[in-house]
Order: sequence, then structure tokens, then C-alpha cells
Amino acid sequence: MSAFFFVVLAVLIITGALVTVIASNAVHAALGLVATLVALAMTYVTLDAHFLGAVQVIVYAGAIMVLFLFVIMLLDATRPVTAHNPVGFVNELAALGGAALAGALGLIALGWRDPRPLAEGAAALRNGTPGAVGETLLTRFVLPFEAVSVLLLVAVVGSIVLVKRPVSQPSAVPEAQPIESGERAGA
Amino acid sequence: MPYWLADLLWVVVKGVALAFALLTTFAYMTLVERRLLARMQIRHGPNRVGPLGLLQPAADAIKSIFKEDFRVTAADKVVYTLAPIVAIACALTAFGAIPAGPANSFFGLNPWVYDLDIGLLAVLALTSMGVYGIFLGGWASGSKYPLLGGLRSSAQMISYELGMGLSVLGLLMLVGSTRLRDIVDWQGANGWLILFQLTGFALFIISSFAEVNRTPFDLPEAEQELVAGYLTEFNAIKWALFQMAEYVNMITASAIMSTLFFGGWRGPQFLDAIIPGISAWPFVWLILKIAAFLFLFIWVRATLPRLRYDQLMRFGWKLLLPAALLNTVVTAGYVAYAREGLRWPLFVIGALGLAALVVGSDRIRVLVNSPRTTGVTELAPPPSGRPLGGD
Repeated sequence: MSAFFFVVLAVLIITGALVTVIASNAVHAALGLVATLVALAMTYVTLDAHFLGAVQVIVYAGAIMVLFLFVIMLLDATRPVTAHNPVGFVNELAALGGAALAGALGLIALGWRDPRPLAEGAAALRNGTPGAVGETLLTRFVLPFEAVSVLLLVAVVGSIVLVKRPVSQPSAVPEAQPIESGERAGA
Repeated sequence: MPYWLADLLWVVVKGVALAFALLTTFAYMTLVERRLLARMQIRHGPNRVGPLGLLQPAADAIKSIFKEDFRVTAADKVVYTLAPIVAIACALTAFGAIPAGPANSFFGLNPWVYDLDIGLLAVLALTSMGVYGIFLGGWASGSKYPLLGGLRSSAQMISYELGMGLSVLGLLMLVGSTRLRDIVDWQGANGWLILFQLTGFALFIISSFAEVNRTPFDLPEAEQELVAGYLTEFNAIKWALFQMAEYVNMITASAIMSTLFFGGWRGPQFLDAIIPGISAWPFVWLILKIAAFLFLFIWVRATLPRLRYDQLMRFGWKLLLPAALLNTVVTAGYVAYAREGLRWPLFVIGALGLAALVVGSDRIRVLVNSPRTTGVTELAPPPSGRPLGGD
């Protein structure tokens, strides 16, 4: 049974990824990515990592991809790009990067060893319940966890700085006039 | 028949039965809503088809199904068809996690479709996928107003999802499990969770209204501004599917609120003295609680006007989210440091928090909504010198 589900989900994941790369309409490409992410979440669920699957759907498919689509629709970026490519060698660079990534993934897949016996690891995960995952995350991996949260904070502050319009200084307020706080001066 | 196949078969049967029940509820919900709204506005409402208008949903259904299903030329064909299906699929699937009774109480079957360790998270994940239906429907129509409605809805639902998730964190910390059955059992032993999470419930119900796009948060389909928002270019059965999704989401939200804060499928235990075992009857209590919340949804629709879009965003980000964070931190501190089993101070804290929000609402509204902080300049001074509404 699990082999059957794996094949179905793998086909879904690869189809979604191909649509993401090939589709000329940006919204269709983003939807292909959504399909990939959701199918990946289902794969996690078949591996008893329920929490990971739910988080994958909530964060990636439910939030990040919606924001992707939001930007695509807001900027009307659905039409295929026809303008001249200013960076002539980007295809070659992308091919090199893709080859390097594929090589690295191959190395990992072939050279991977269990950090501990599978039965022991599965027992520690306790069906991938949130409790077990949270415990591991906030004890053994607390430093990377907090580093990621700092990274996110930096990104938030950076985006606010980028979009903030310069505030014109209220120079016309005379010193003597008191400024009411909060409520607008009514009638 | 192998064991797993029988299991699978029963799950499918339960799922289909649940979908049927939800869609019937949707059909009659439309009638109840129209009749109740009419009553609240001192008019009659639909009362012509059948006795008391009881056959009105059937007439509507027949009309929707047999109406010509035409398609807009500028629409994106695949996505235009896919969008309503996604919306209704996510809405129907999410409800399956709700436990409606104790194990093996439904003719020897479990009265839920699926039961996961991550129950609540699964529901949140599925409802968060529901935004795609509205969003893609708005985009695929290839028209301006639907696009605006779709964009609004996605921004609104993403924003309030955060507040929604954060407002239940305190509750999850108290219970120590995300499994919906554990949450119900905890309440059976310790009392309804609304007692200990009053502020959390207030924030959760507000976010729920926003998540299901109901008044006062029905901006995605604001008819005075956007024709019908994302629904504008849809007709016949596709339009009906979107309506179904909205109402099923409402039913799911009601079920979630009953399960998380009002004891779920458990009835009041003092009734056990009169009829033994009545508090553990499956379905009855959950359906009663859901009905109460559905009435609240309709009542609010008849009472409150719609928020302006910028007010909605500021309310979500500047008030709801920080308040939910504060509730989480306070509950976490209490769980960490207070004596085990001592819970009444949580009620006091929650009540004080809620009272502070209500009493301070005028002050808070000025802080987040005044022209000075928002940069929104007024077009003309108010004619009578009276402050404009909302600010």
C-alpha cells in the first residue's frame, strides 16, 4: 500500500515541479508549485510525520504561496516575459547550479547513513506528534531555531524599511501650542 | 474482506454521509438565514414555496443546477473551473476532524471521519487552503472587480489566520494536546475552556468571522463596492458551489468553536441525574451548539455594518495579533509558574483582559485608527463639526 501511495505522490510532485518550470503563465506555474508542496506534505503524512505535513501545508502552501500569487496578480506578471534578457549567460549559470545541486542530492542519497536505528528514531518521534517535535526543536536544535527567528525578524524589519515612505517633519508647529494626544480636537 | 479495506470503506461511507449532511444543512441554512434576517428587519422573507417556504432550498437547488453554465471569454478556463471545486473540497474535508460523540457510539462506529494527533492543525491547514478557491476564482474571471475581491480576500484571510492560530495557542498549552478528542475529554474533566480562555475565545470568534468572510468582514464580496467581488463572473452551479463553501466553512467554524471552548459533543453533566448518560449522547449536543453559533453568525450579519478595508487591516494587525500574543504569553507564564490544578485565576485574568479590551475600545480605536497615525487625510471637514464615523 505505502509503495502505491508513494508512486502516486511522487508522480504528483514531479508533475507539479515540471508545471512550475514549464508553464508560461506565472499563475499556472505557482499553482504547480502549490501542487508539489501539498503532495510533499501528503508524503510526510504517509511517513507518519503528521505535524510536519500540517506545518508544510499551513506555512508553505497556505501562506507563502498565497503571497507569491498575490504579488503575481498585483503586478500583473501573468504574461510571459518577451523582453530582451539583459544577462546573456544566465542559462549557463542556472545549468551549472542545477547540476551542482543534483550532484549534491545524489551524493546525499547514496552516502546517507541512519544517525540511529530506524526503530529507535520512530519511537522517539512518537508518530510525529507536535510534542515530540517541539521538544527536539527547543532543546537539541534551539540555536538554529532561534537563528532562523532572528533571520525572519531581520527580513521583516528590512521590508518595512524598504516600503516606508519618508515622513515629512512637522516643522510648522509652534513651540508654545500644546499638542493634544490621542483624540482629535472635536467641536 | 481484509480489515483495512473494511475500515477504508466505512471511512468513505461516513465521509459521504457527512458531506450529504453538511450540504443539506447548507441548503436549509440559506432559508433560515433569509427568514431570520427578514424577521429582524420586520418583513416576511421567502414564504411562498411550500409550507412556510420550506421548499425554497429545493427550488433554489433545481434552479442552480439547470441554469445555463456559461463562461466568460476572458476567463482562464482550467482555473475558472477548478476554483469552486477547491473551495468546496477544502470546506467539506475540514469538518471530518470534528468528533461528534464518544468512540464507538455511532452504531458501533466512531462518530468522526478522521482522528489525527494534529487534529486542530489539520483543520487549520485545510481551511487555509480554502483561500485558494476564492483567490483563484477572483483571478480566473479575467475581470476587474473579481480580481479586487480576490486580492482583498487573500490579504484578509492571511492576516486573520495568524490571529486565529495565536489565539488558540493558550488553550493548547492548557490542554497539552492538539487532538480534538483530547481537548473535549479535558473539558469533560475540568470544565469548559471558555472559562479559562475568555480573551482567547473573544479573539478566536472575531478571527473566525473574518476567516469565513462574514459580516462585518465580508469585504471580498462587498456588493456596494465590488458588485459581488470574486463571485461576480460565476453563475449557475459554480456560483452555488462557492456559496456552499462559504456556509460549510461557517458550520465548520461553529463546530470548532463548540469543540474548543464549549465542551464539544459533551452535554451538561447535571442532566445525568435526570436521564443517565444523556451528556454523552452523540451528535445532539454538538448540533445544538453549532446551531447556536450559526444563529450568532446571522444575528451579527443583521446587526453590524461592514468595516472599511484599511480599518480591517489595522484591526487585524495592530490589535488582534498583539492581543493574541499577549494572551499566549500570559497563559504560558501561568502554566509554567502557577500551582498544578489551580485554574480560577485564569478566569479572572481572561475576564480582566476582555473587560480591558471592551472598556478601552474607544481609546484603542483612536490609537490605531486616527488620521494622525494612519496618514489618511480627510477629504472635507465634517459639516456639523461632528467626528466622522469609524475614527
